[in-house]
Amino acid sequence: MTAKKLGPYQTLKAEGTYKIGADKPTIAFNRIGKRGVRRYDGYAKASGKALYTRDVLLPGMLYSKVLASPFAHAKILRLDTRQAEAYPGVRTVLRFDDPAIHGRELTGSIAGPTRMAPQSAGWAMLPVKTILGDEAIFEGQMVGVAVCADSEQIAAEALKRVKIEWEQRPILLDQEEALQPEAPILIPGADSNQIIDERELTTKGDVEQGFQEAEQIVEFTARRHAHLWAGAELPCVIANWSGDKLEMWVHEQQPYLSKLILSEQLNIPMNKIQTHSLYQGCSFGERCNPSNWHQNGINVLAVLLARKAGRPVKLVLNRAETFYGESGDVMASHFKVGAKQDGTITAVQMKSVFANYMCTTGVEHLIDNTRISHLRCEGITAHVNKPPAWWCRCEQLPNVFCQTLIFDHVADALGLDPTQVALRNDGCEGHDPSYLSEFKRRHGFPDRDSLRECIEAGRKAIGWEEKWHAPGTRRLPNGRMHGMAFTWSHDWDDTRGTGSAAVMIQNDGSVSIIAQHSDVGVNPWTAYMQIVADELGVPYEDIEINPFDLNVGFALMSPDGSCNLGSNGFVVKKAAQKAKQMLLDLASEKFDRPADALDVKESVVFEKARPENRMPLKEVVKMATPMLNAVGIWTEPPVLAWAWHTHGLWGQALETGRPRMCRQANFIEIEVDTETGEVFVTKVVNVNDVGQAISPETVEGQMYGGTYMGLGRALTEEMVWDPSTGVLLNRNLLDYKYATLLDYPEAECIYLETGLGHGPYGSTGIGENTATMIPGLLGPAVYNAIGQRVDDFPITPHKVLKALGKIKE
Amino acid sequence: MKEGSKATPLNLCPYCTAAFDTFEELKTHVVSVHKTEPLPKPAGWIALTVNGQVHELKVEPEWTLYQVIHDRLGLMGVKMFCDRGACGSCTVIMDGRPILACMSLAIECDGKHIQTAEGIAEAKHPLVESYIKHHTMQCGYCTPGFITTAKALLDRNPDPTVEEVMEALGGNLCRCGTYPQHPKAVLEAAQTLREEGSK
Amino acid sequence: MRTFAHFNARTVDEVVSILRRYGERAHVIAGGTDLLGKMKDELLPKYPEALVNIKSIPGLEYIREDHGTLQIGALTRLEDIAADPLVRGKYNALAEATRRAASPHLREMGTLGGNICQDIRCWYYRHPDNRFPCLRKGGGRCYAMNGENRYHSIFGANVEQGCYAVHPSDTAPALIALNAKVKTSRRTLAVEDLFEVRVGKTTVLDSDEIVTAFEVPTPAKATKSSFVKFALRKTIDFPIVNCAAMIASEGGRVTAARVCLNAVYVKPYRATKAEEFMAGQPINEANAEAAGDAVVSDAKPLQHNGYMVQIAKVMVKRAILACRSEAPPAQT
Ligand SMILES: Cc1cc2nc3c(=O)[nH]c(=O)nc-3n(C[C@H](O)[C@H](O)[C@H](O)COP(=O)(O)OP(=O)(O)OC[C@H]3O[C@@H](n4cnc5c(N)ncnc54)[C@H](O)[C@@H]3O)c2cc1C
Ligand code: SF4
Ligand code: FES
Ligand code: FES
Repeated sequence: MTAKKLGPYQTLKAEGTYKIGADKPTIAFNRIGKRGVRRYDGYAKASGKALYTRDVLLPGMLYSKVLASPFAHAKILRLDTRQAEAYPGVRTVLRFDDPAIHGRELTGSIAGPTRMAPQSAGWAMLPVKTILGDEAIFEGQMVGVAVCADSEQIAAEALKRVKIEWEQRPILLDQEEALQPEAPILIPGADSNQIIDERELTTKGDVEQGFQEAEQIVEFTARRHAHLWAGAELPCVIANWSGDKLEMWVHEQQPYLSKLILSEQLNIPMNKIQTHSLYQGCSFGERCNPSNWHQNGINVLAVLLARKAGRPVKLVLNRAETFYGESGDVMASHFKVGAKQDGTITAVQMKSVFANYMCTTGVEHLIDNTRISHLRCEGITAHVNKPPAWWCRCEQLPNVFCQTLIFDHVADALGLDPTQVALRNDGCEGHDPSYLSEFKRRHGFPDRDSLRECIEAGRKAIGWEEKWHAPGTRRLPNGRMHGMAFTWSHDWDDTRGTGSAAVMIQNDGSVSIIAQHSDVGVNPWTAYMQIVADELGVPYEDIEINPFDLNVGFALMSPDGSCNLGSNGFVVKKAAQKAKQMLLDLASEKFDRPADALDVKESVVFEKARPENRMPLKEVVKMATPMLNAVGIWTEPPVLAWAWHTHGLWGQALETGRPRMCRQANFIEIEVDTETGEVFVTKVVNVNDVGQAISPETVEGQMYGGTYMGLGRALTEEMVWDPSTGVLLNRNLLDYKYATLLDYPEAECIYLETGLGHGPYGSTGIGENTATMIPGLLGPAVYNAIGQRVDDFPITPHKVLKALGKIKE
Repeated sequence: MKEGSKATPLNLCPYCTAAFDTFEELKTHVVSVHKTEPLPKPAGWIALTVNGQVHELKVEPEWTLYQVIHDRLGLMGVKMFCDRGACGSCTVIMDGRPILACMSLAIECDGKHIQTAEGIAEAKHPLVESYIKHHTMQCGYCTPGFITTAKALLDRNPDPTVEEVMEALGGNLCRCGTYPQHPKAVLEAAQTLREEGSK
Repeated sequence: MRTFAHFNARTVDEVVSILRRYGERAHVIAGGTDLLGKMKDELLPKYPEALVNIKSIPGLEYIREDHGTLQIGALTRLEDIAADPLVRGKYNALAEATRRAASPHLREMGTLGGNICQDIRCWYYRHPDNRFPCLRKGGGRCYAMNGENRYHSIFGANVEQGCYAVHPSDTAPALIALNAKVKTSRRTLAVEDLFEVRVGKTTVLDSDEIVTAFEVPTPAKATKSSFVKFALRKTIDFPIVNCAAMIASEGGRVTAARVCLNAVYVKPYRATKAEEFMAGQPINEANAEAAGDAVVSDAKPLQHNGYMVQIAKVMVKRAILACRSEAPPAQT
């Protein structure tokens, strides 16, 4: 086959585009997959020396705050900022009616023909996407005016001196009420409160036929209330102008995209924006998307304020202000499921009403994961006067919530062991597992049954055989009821992502990975360095990365969607392989042997056939340098290679022909105090097929770490609004309750390595799985304990006591 | 910083109202005549010993200890997370106690001895290495608060049980869920300390 | 935080004189863990003009036994009380209450005086910038009564005002069950009589009066005391309901009982019905349960806090059971 000769661009593109098939390692693993590799960020973080955006203080820096609406739905009729402007220490005030922003829409991320489209702004549900508007549709919305002052305190004081005449409007807080015909219309001019969403209806097969095939029909309802990311670092952004050059410090997962958006929004050439993205105190998706207002909006305002004030401006949010964004799984759902006596699910019909944003419809995992042929999923979203909903570790929440509850209700109705029901329905897009087997064989993957392996490992670890029982039947000696539950799904390889990076061998033989990347705590850099170490044949300790500066041009895939390593692993691997080729090329002159006769190990280049013919890498690159005062000596070009990788589009696993093959299973054991309604979690077992672990400790960190978030979401995390004013009542970390160290036991984390992932070396994502899977699991567990359903999340003592008939309401 | 000497325009003795040209003269007077030490500092002046270094500085009444240590002294290891006493991220060790810098007024900390994560790391306390080894950080934002809390525990109780470690760290929130690693890391550091001590 | 005048007081008299000068416009600050949160949020209509630091007064931090009483200085930190062998030996209710309060750091900072004098936690009241100018701030209405009242009073509002905010302290019920007295700069009174619900106030203390010490009578030999707490989290969390009990028994029967709930009413709530019920009875499941039932027979829950009635009942029961002579440690 003679292929058309590709130019350099096409070559890069061809090399970089993911090709379906097992990525088998071509090198021996020395660091990859090994424990005990020193964590890259460990010292900086343990010593308190790691810098986060919030820590940055610049000389002459001003602080900026934006007015937050005290009302859940109101319009500014008159705005008098004179007193605020006159307040000592106030340097600049930017009003919504300032010509710089008046009526200007905040544009969002890449979408449609225009690249930047307001429709795709993260606050997609907001009807008016102004940069700074005069109308609030949720309490706490930043509107009206931003001030800039010598200190945070002065800025806050100044805001209190802004006089506003508000026109208050009727509010709606419940998504189902919002769809009632008599409900007031929230958006002027609209004819209903429904948000148009093209994913409104998903159907596959014919559910009516499926119900006819069924031997049992199960119907139930479930509810999920709002929770949120509540990350550790308080978000902020810093902007500083020097002439026409802009310097920014941002707390963002996707700083390159944010730069692009800023450039489009404010007409600033991208090459004039220098962005720093330091360590980040959590992200969890909330800080992933530059089109989220709390991200994009504050960026734009900070830039404008800095220009107006002629000084660096740090726009800061306080803890309460970080609470104005909720999870995109606020849903009230009704399910109807048909099944055969052997556990085969014949049809699933669900209808959910979401508030403000539908992360995912609820049906997608059933498509990707099962052989169920007949599916019908209706997802309607309504405007309510609550903060924008968004992805929050992660957008799959509705999908796994539905899958968990559906499978548990079916197993219970049929009197079957839920692990058996899972195996009975495992598959892909309506096909049974033999379809997957065929795919695996065809593409070089091992033909292993991931779900069966996960379930076996998990059952053993939790003692399922001995301990699992019929609902409400086991009282423990301590008086509490014992409950167990299981759920499962596919892996979290979101099969998307693009990144680029360079690998450079410095003049002294040390190695640099050159690329910007945002760290959110998933220890990515250690993993990249492990890969480069093994691929290049240099010790891990000789590798360094400096990921904080966006101006190097290379940017690794942002850490969201669990696609961190999935794409970046390929990027650094390819860059290292290319660098190695260059190195051997260079060495071939010195050894007077063809490059392919040579190899590198532990930073020593040697001849494969005669290993004693060797030269330290340092010697090989002695003159390979980008810059050296070359008077009287010769130099050589630097050994620097870069690679690009793209891993398809997110959410299109099937269209691109990439079925998910790794599975996971989560097991839980609880005790319920039937007198107080308290749920005690006594054991959690997470089994994840990660394909191939690059950094085992990191994999486990995501597994036990996510467990705490998952359990918090299941039991205590809930945003609470005042019903009559729509004011968010618990916007602090005392009243919004997430897990402490003492609340739950350490999860047992088992990972399997089947090589069935589409990522580098057969790996797949792990960052989002556990936190997303665990919440729904508590519904079945509580049911198994007390024999009564509480499918209303979070499952509070109040709801448990109610289910037990201990209280009336 | 040694600006204390020019803080008060008029150097009046607080005990007998005698006036002096310089602050130093007043100090000598108070010590010799009134036999008291130390001389009350001019309003708003405090001395903090942070990681072994003495800082004398003027603070406003409303400044929190966090503001002074983080913004003024540039020790970024005290982290602002909840700003309301609910997370332990801003923990520093003050006179042996793990306390919250966001809920302390700097003006009330005159004369105190304070340690931060930076000081603990500079002193090569084994906690730091054992935290790294056990991956006891993810995003790392909460980590310095855990380290200071753990150090305060080990100072008092060099051989804690697992329960005691967990109890002591109960006031530190970690959104990333690094919780299981902390008892492991702290117990290992305690052991290293004891071994170092017995050498 | 907005600024204020600040005084590091050196004597109690100095505090009193500064307070007198400022009237309601000054506050004393002890550990500051409660007060500074309020100031940061500027939740009151009037921001304090001055703070008087009482930590700078020497000699208010102590725990000692003295003539059949336990004496505790108002500035004693909760952590020190929880760790004190004396307290753990004979005053279990107080040891447990201090051990379960707040978080380790807050206990290292928070004082017993401050814990008793702390303000309410109603989330309407605590909302920043006086967003809800409710009755308790001198405003016209209670927002919780028909609002989100899942953590509010189950025994009705205080009579004059209609405020449903519960008293949140963990140590108050323990001190009341132990029949403790509080000494102030001007008088001595039973801890039980300290609490009063007024606009901007939780105690009967005058604006120029401060708490200086607590005096707890040493319980007689066959007396046991206990403290149980129900909260959503195991630490960094206020009680949804807590309960302390002190029970003296003779020959297997209760001779005297003091039981006090908190976080269920606008003040610590003496569970007198339980005390009466237990008198002369042996401590057992059935009696403890019936005592709990008796207490909540008066409950008048609001729309969202019915579950607290059940929990209060169980807390009473468990606190009583924990006073059995060989009681295992209480579970919650
Ligand atoms: C996150 C968080 C969680 C908490 N959890 C709990 C909990 O679970 N249980 C609980 O009981 N409490 C809890 N608290 C409340 C409180 O912080 C502690 O109870 C602490 O004991 C208060 O003491 P302090 O010395 O810090 O009080 P301060 O804040 O100094 O004072 C509190 C109030 O009492 C007044 N005061 C203080 N001392 C005196 C005195 N000697 N005489 C007269 N008035 C005085 C002050 O003027 C002020 O109004 C919590 C607080 C926070 C921030
Ligand atoms: S319960 Fe009391 S403090 Fe709360 S809103 Fe009502 S009146 Fe105010
Ligand atoms: S920031 Fe101080 S306790 Fe949370
Ligand atoms: S490591 Fe991220 S909050 Fe603890």
